[in-house]
Amino acid sequence: MVNDYLFELTRDILMYVNGFFIIYLIGYSSFLFLAVVIGSSELYKKRQQEILKSTLHKDYYIPVSIIVPAYNEEVTVVDTVRSLLALEYTVYEIIVVDDGSKDDTSKKLIEAFDMQPIRRPIQRKVSSKPEEYVYETTVDRIPLTLIRKKNGGKADSLNMGINASRYPYFICMDADSALQYDSLSKIVRPVIEERNVVAVGGAVRPSNGVVIEEGHVKEYHLPSNLLACMQTLEYDRSFLASRILFDKFNGSLIISGAFGLFRKDTVIACGGYDSKTMGEDMELVVKLHEYCVLNDIPYSIKYASDAICWSQAPERLQDLCKQRKRWHIGLFQSMWRHKIMFANQRFGAVSMVSYLYFLIYELLSPFIELAGVTVTVVSYIVDLINVRFMIAFFLGYAVYGVILTLTAFFARIQTIDLEISVSDCIKAISLCLIEVAGLRFILAFVRATALVGYNKKKLNWGRIERKKINVS
Amino acid sequence: MSIEILIYSYLAVCMAMIMFNIACVVVFRVSDRRIDRMSRGFEKAIRKQVEDGEASEKEKKYLLRKLKRVANLRAFERTLQKIEEENPELVYSYLETASSVFMELSEKYSRKNALEAAFFPYLIREHGLFRGRDPEPVIRMLLDMVRNQSLYCRENAMEALYSIGNAKAVLAGLTLVDRSDGFHHAKMISDGLLDFAGDRNELDELLWNHLPSFSEVMQVALLDYFRFSSGDHKERMLEVMTSEDTPDELRYSCIRYFGRHRYEQAYEKLLHYARITDRNKWEYPAIAATALAGYPGEKTVGVLKGLLESSSWHVRYNASQSLEILGFEYMDMIDIIESDDRYASEMIRYRLDQRNLKARRRGSDG
Repeated sequence: MVNDYLFELTRDILMYVNGFFIIYLIGYSSFLFLAVVIGSSELYKKRQQEILKSTLHKDYYIPVSIIVPAYNEEVTVVDTVRSLLALEYTVYEIIVVDDGSKDDTSKKLIEAFDMQPIRRPIQRKVSSKPEEYVYETTVDRIPLTLIRKKNGGKADSLNMGINASRYPYFICMDADSALQYDSLSKIVRPVIEERNVVAVGGAVRPSNGVVIEEGHVKEYHLPSNLLACMQTLEYDRSFLASRILFDKFNGSLIISGAFGLFRKDTVIACGGYDSKTMGEDMELVVKLHEYCVLNDIPYSIKYASDAICWSQAPERLQDLCKQRKRWHIGLFQSMWRHKIMFANQRFGAVSMVSYLYFLIYELLSPFIELAGVTVTVVSYIVDLINVRFMIAFFLGYAVYGVILTLTAFFARIQTIDLEISVSDCIKAISLCLIEVAGLRFILAFVRATALVGYNKKKLNWGRIERKKINVS
Repeated sequence: MSIEILIYSYLAVCMAMIMFNIACVVVFRVSDRRIDRMSRGFEKAIRKQVEDGEASEKEKKYLLRKLKRVANLRAFERTLQKIEEENPELVYSYLETASSVFMELSEKYSRKNALEAAFFPYLIREHGLFRGRDPEPVIRMLLDMVRNQSLYCRENAMEALYSIGNAKAVLAGLTLVDRSDGFHHAKMISDGLLDFAGDRNELDELLWNHLPSFSEVMQVALLDYFRFSSGDHKERMLEVMTSEDTPDELRYSCIRYFGRHRYEQAYEKLLHYARITDRNKWEYPAIAATALAGYPGEKTVGVLKGLLESSSWHVRYNASQSLEILGFEYMDMIDIIESDDRYASEMIRYRLDQRNLKARRRGSDG
């Protein structure tokens, strides 16, 4: 009798749980659908505008400081700076902040660009660890500064860069990335086009398989490494499309640390980067929303899909897991710290759409997805599931994911004048399925376990294996 | 059941997206080839027409019919670009003979949507169409486009007006931009005006006469334009700078003007701004410190040395930069370097280091 009751109760619970998962998946599918459709349409619209010269074709230069935080980057830092010196932009400076590297990051730079020591006073507008020495030089009239400071993490290095920068806008980027020749003029464009722009996110693309010469893409192939290749597809579906969608209602909560433009006075007013978090890039953007809304400051945060930064995607599963774990902890920290934005009408769509999306479909999604798989198995055991329906549902879901991924991928390729080979097309189509049905679940597991053993005081740079970027 | 319908409808739209992608590939490729083909046709026609002299009515009609479509206008523009690279004079004389066609076309394009309409003013600007002339219907059309909500359409139209070089039309355009609700960055105005291809004196005179009627933001943009255009506006600038009613932002622009264009009559006033100690008005000494680099003399050096002790970082930074430009030596600054004011001393040491660095680089280059 009791057993029957327990069995019935379990069946009822599982019924509700299954219902929840279906609603959850439908919600996610709807979001993805909207993101890809709007994202792709927007890309095509931009392409049409470019063709019909319905854009700002004259370059309006706003002086910008490029801040490159570096930690043990001796392999890539010189190439990165060289690629920055080749940018087609008139007024900018480059500041490399060496965060107490244990390798020869500073030495390589000093030697490569014949830099000289200088006693430069640096105003502390936001907090950062003290500098050990400063070197300066000018290359083709572009000021290049190297600041070597005590180790304090990426956020701390960015703060030092802000303190030393001389221009009203700054760009943050990674030392292992390369900017496309026109990326600066493209990323400042929203500042010229719209009022009150406090930040602009650039488009980050995996550089694996790409050959870049003086900021121009000379050869574009999908990466030969399958993991990196799957990330290329994932970037288009998850990041490109959703960021364009969030941009539509000023709802961007993330600007990638690999490439973003910020208005310096606003960033300083809200305290700069938070060196106590792992996801300093997201933290800053969420903080900007909070600061501007709570102080009734009109603002907008934009996304420039045509301002391109090429960045290395991890090629080893171990590195990818490390990276995603870091991102997930960063996400948790930012969402927790700014919980005031949760279901708060004052923040409008940022709260009701962006924050909720990140909470349900980013922060909690790995738990929900893994729980979903477990419940499905249990349901199958207790014979609560129509197996044919379940298989059809998951197959449908996987095909749906594949189609959306391919749509976003081809929309990007076509709208930025890239040509890919037939073999790359076949590769993209075949890897899509593995990415949607395989890698996604592995990463869900990694993210679900990210907070296990989480120590909020432990901060590091999150190393991945560095390779030279294909730039010349 | 309703869930299944939703999933299937999503899948259907996705399939449509894929079809759309494939169609786009085809359309982009086909249209590119078509434009190339058309462009070759236009090239032949243009060369023939220039050889023949005046275009016949039949040719004009053909051109008008063809260029009504924006895709054809793109092909035509590509042709002009190609010929211009070899022989700009040829394009100029051709456009002269065919100007009546473009006059008529302007009316057609004024009725198109903002995206397509924006291409016509682009063509005017890019190839100097109607330069130095007074094509009334075209100007009317461009002013209409300045009223458009689309920033790109507005800006293309303004650029075309600058290129035509009609001062009154530019003034009318600026007035419309100023009154519109849409955002138009001041930099677009000041940089755009520098491209004005007509009589600059006439334009400047008009802008000065109408300056008070513009909003403060537009006034700042115009003063910035004057700063970069010439040093012929000193008296009027001084008048604006010294007027009690002038808002701060405008005055900053005037101070910057006198930093670029030396004017003895403004000197005392610049010193006055540099000596302002009110913490809430730190911008005045900061901007004046930079401007004073163009006014060498003991008085200037004295004031700049004093500014090195300012509580504002920007004031100290700019003052030290001006002292460096004025060519101070280590011994001239020994009093500051040895003083108790660490901030001032640090700033000067930095400038001395920078000077050594520059000298070293010059030495190694030479």
